[in-house]
Amino acid sequence: MNLSEYRVAFAIVSLILILLATVPTLNLVFSFQSGKAQFSEFWVLGPNHIIQDYPFNVRLNQSYQVFAGVRNNMGSTLHYMVYVKFRNQTQPLPDALNSLPSSLPPLYEYHVFLADSETWETVLTFSILSASRVGNSTLVSDISINDAVFSVNSSAMWDTEHSGFHYQMFLELWFYNTTSMSFQYHNRFVAFWLNITGELT
Amino acid sequence: MKTMSVSKISCILLIFVFAASSLFLVANVSGFSESEATLASNDADGTVASAYTATLKAEKAGANVSDLLTRLDEAGDFLAQAHMAYRSGDFDGAILAANSARSIGEEVQNAADSLEVLARGESQQRLLFTLLGSIASVVLIVYGSFWGWRVLKRRYCERVLKMKPEVASNES
Repeated sequence: MNLSEYRVAFAIVSLILILLATVPTLNLVFSFQSGKAQFSEFWVLGPNHIIQDYPFNVRLNQSYQVFAGVRNNMGSTLHYMVYVKFRNQTQPLPDALNSLPSSLPPLYEYHVFLADSETWETVLTFSILSASRVGNSTLVSDISINDAVFSVNSSAMWDTEHSGFHYQMFLELWFYNTTSMSFQYHNRFVAFWLNITGELT
Repeated sequence: MKTMSVSKISCILLIFVFAASSLFLVANVSGFSESEATLASNDADGTVASAYTATLKAEKAGANVSDLLTRLDEAGDFLAQAHMAYRSGDFDGAILAANSARSIGEEVQNAADSLEVLARGESQQRLLFTLLGSIASVVLIVYGSFWGWRVLKRRYCERVLKMKPEVASNES
């Protein structure tokens, strides 16, 4: 190794050391983006906390449970809002293609503040309080969600294909957009079907 | 006789005024209108949103906001109660819940503002110390490199000078 080769090796080692010494400062001055995908997880699980055994054949005045949860992977704290809605087969679901929520009014709602990588989960308890059957249709008048009573007045015709009076309970995920200063639909919803059975009033 | 009747009348008037004001107060407390409930609900929405924005700023400044998030969750519960009560026409319940949400929201906003100021101060101090540390390290590295280079160069030259020339024969 001659002197000029020694000089080059020395300069390279010194530059590397200088770079290492400035890394903590550069890290504080510039915020480096992680490149991590930003998304929110949203789920509803059956009463056994698995994706099975969802309540389906529901009877009047009986209590049913599901678990609803949200996980924040958006990179910062988020203010989420979950709307619980109820519909018959003809009423609209959210429009996933156009990122639009269902036009149905919410019954129950949750507000949750979640830091990045944090999870929230709750038990949603519901029961059909009042429903009547007229001919080949069923009218659900009142339902209770977490002990709060809501008037729904939603009727379903007998579904000949799937044999039942089918309704759907669905949950929409919204978040507070600090730019527009309003809640924005997060284009995520979860749903489960209900078949009203048994003696009705 | 006259003074008696005057005092009686003033006494009756006083009782009447007291009763009327009590009735007015009761009417105000128990029978809130839809517009009052709307106002209270919007006010609570705005306050909780501001508290959330302030918490985000504090978090960006490097503060630990986990306690604030717990309080915001409580405010969120009240906010949800207020909205649901409002939709079901229970305006008294809506106002009660909205006021609770607003009160927690204000508390969180104040705490978040203070935390942000503290965190910014600490962050600037940390930046200063890190910057000074980096500058000192760079100066040391540059000085050490020059010193090391000079030592290496001198030793190299000494080694070269100590070398004895050798004559190689070319017999090809």
